[in-house]
Amino acid sequence: MADLLVVDAIEKTYGEGDTATRALKGVSFTVAEGEFASIVGQSGSGKSTLLNLIGLLDTPTSGQVLFGGKNTTTLGRKGRARVRNEGLGFVFQFHYLLPEFSVWENLTMPAQIAGRTVTGEERDRALQTLTLLGLEGLEHKNANQLSGGQKQRVAIGRALMNRPRLILADEPTGNLDTANTAVVYELFRTINAEIGTTFLIVTHDRAVAQQTDRILEVRDGELVQDVRNDYVAADT
Amino acid sequence: MLSLRIAARFLRSSPGQSALIISGIAVGIATQIFVGSLITSLQADLLDAAVGSSPHITLRASDGATISTYFAEDAEAMEPRISTAIAVRTFSAIYASGGESVPLAVTGADAADLDSIYGLSERITTGSYRLGADEALVGARFSETYDIEAGDALEVLLPDGQRADYEIAGVFDLGQGTANERFAFVGATTAAGALGMNDDECSAIQVQLTDPFDSAEVAPVLGEAFGVESLDWQAENEELLSGLAAQSGSSIMIQIFVLVAVALGIASTLAISAVQKTRQIGILKAIGMGDSAAGRIFLWQAALLGAGGTLGGIGLGYGLIWGFSLAPVPFSIRPEPTFIAISAAIGVSVALASSVIPARSTSRLDPIEVIQSG
Repeated sequence: MADLLVVDAIEKTYGEGDTATRALKGVSFTVAEGEFASIVGQSGSGKSTLLNLIGLLDTPTSGQVLFGGKNTTTLGRKGRARVRNEGLGFVFQFHYLLPEFSVWENLTMPAQIAGRTVTGEERDRALQTLTLLGLEGLEHKNANQLSGGQKQRVAIGRALMNRPRLILADEPTGNLDTANTAVVYELFRTINAEIGTTFLIVTHDRAVAQQTDRILEVRDGELVQDVRNDYVAADT
Repeated sequence: MLSLRIAARFLRSSPGQSALIISGIAVGIATQIFVGSLITSLQADLLDAAVGSSPHITLRASDGATISTYFAEDAEAMEPRISTAIAVRTFSAIYASGGESVPLAVTGADAADLDSIYGLSERITTGSYRLGADEALVGARFSETYDIEAGDALEVLLPDGQRADYEIAGVFDLGQGTANERFAFVGATTAAGALGMNDDECSAIQVQLTDPFDSAEVAPVLGEAFGVESLDWQAENEELLSGLAAQSGSSIMIQIFVLVAVALGIASTLAISAVQKTRQIGILKAIGMGDSAAGRIFLWQAALLGAGGTLGGIGLGYGLIWGFSLAPVPFSIRPEPTFIAISAAIGVSVALASSVIPARSTSRLDPIEVIQSG
């Protein structure tokens, strides 16, 4: 399968001189279209920094990130915002819903940012997403009226709204209980299988990582392992 | 229009805060409208009292000779800013009462012409407005002081030493003490007889302008065109003009300070709002909203606050003017639609200008700052 994502020798250094901290030290890997992969590592290992760079939320000190064959490192703020809106979906540890808006408005916000009106096919897709996430009937509720699990499912729906090629999830179940964690990963799997969306999930929990097909391990800013799931499972 | 919808939602999510700032703007705009209209109306009243019923420019021969009555028509034809120009015959007369001799400044012209400058027909307190042969109008104070009323005879001594007997047709009130005591009006023929003038001769041409403040420009033009001396009301009322200018200056200062207070209020509220909504802006940017669209959210917020506050301010301003009309004061405030439209435009513009700093800081916000702070 073609490479959707190419991470090429990226480095990230915070600060300058004596206080400089190298968060990433020349990390390289590729992710194919349709993969269901995870990045594991201890807290402070650099895995979230890596995800932020892939998600164009931050810029690398050196190296490059190619998404869909295009070098995103050279893009300006406007170009990066467009790629984040059209090509990427984000699910964070915190749901980051907009409390002033309803479930429906939160869900469809990426489409509205892209300048599309949520009617016809767009509306059908949003309704399908609500069904897929088990959120039917909640669309008119305010985001603040939902439970933690429901909020995270709305956040997943929002990430799916523009049918991105890659969903980046940073500790997406970090604030959820065991039951909701299982629901979220089952949803990820379903979306990956049914829509073909590529997933890259950052987690510090190896048990969670074992549910993905490929595991990349980051330690002290370096990629130390890039293996299939069964290898890690046997190792642990 | 997503930025507008988000701005409106942000404002609705903090109704108390939004209501407070809208009220602040409304009070500022209402103050501006009320103070501005008050000063404008006050000045208009003062101006009307001072020159509303008197000529703005007087043309006369510098040596006291007669001039042509046709100058009046010629002046109207050559200068579009003239609202009316009339030929008058003026002379001094002495009224003797008991042992006292009272000087009267008599102006003679057709009744309709005099009315167009002095508005006499609306200022008659007793008797009627007519100027037939040997009829005269006298002022209210003169009538009261010398106990002369409409229908009574008025015997005066003319400049050539002859006596003339007039019948008082009416008594006027021009709103000025001196005019009410010393002015008298007679018909054109009566004045011509008193001065021995032909039909085409007059003492002066009296001119009124659409805008009295044009007199400084128009007077020398007319004087030069007809080769006569031109007297401009502004040159003879410097103290009044100086007072009006000082009043205008004070009014503008008050309005500027009010606007500055409004601007600071909006700017501080929007700055607080920008901080309060940093998380939401960061989220919107993380999911693809551009810098300019994010910045526009606060411009829209300012526009909505400015428009709401300005509309409220106009309503409140009219309310204050209406309330003032109930007070026992000798003049009324007339709201000027143009001034109110300018105030409204200034209100919204000040609101928009106040949003520049929060809009700029919002457009520069990096989503990673919000994501990393959790």
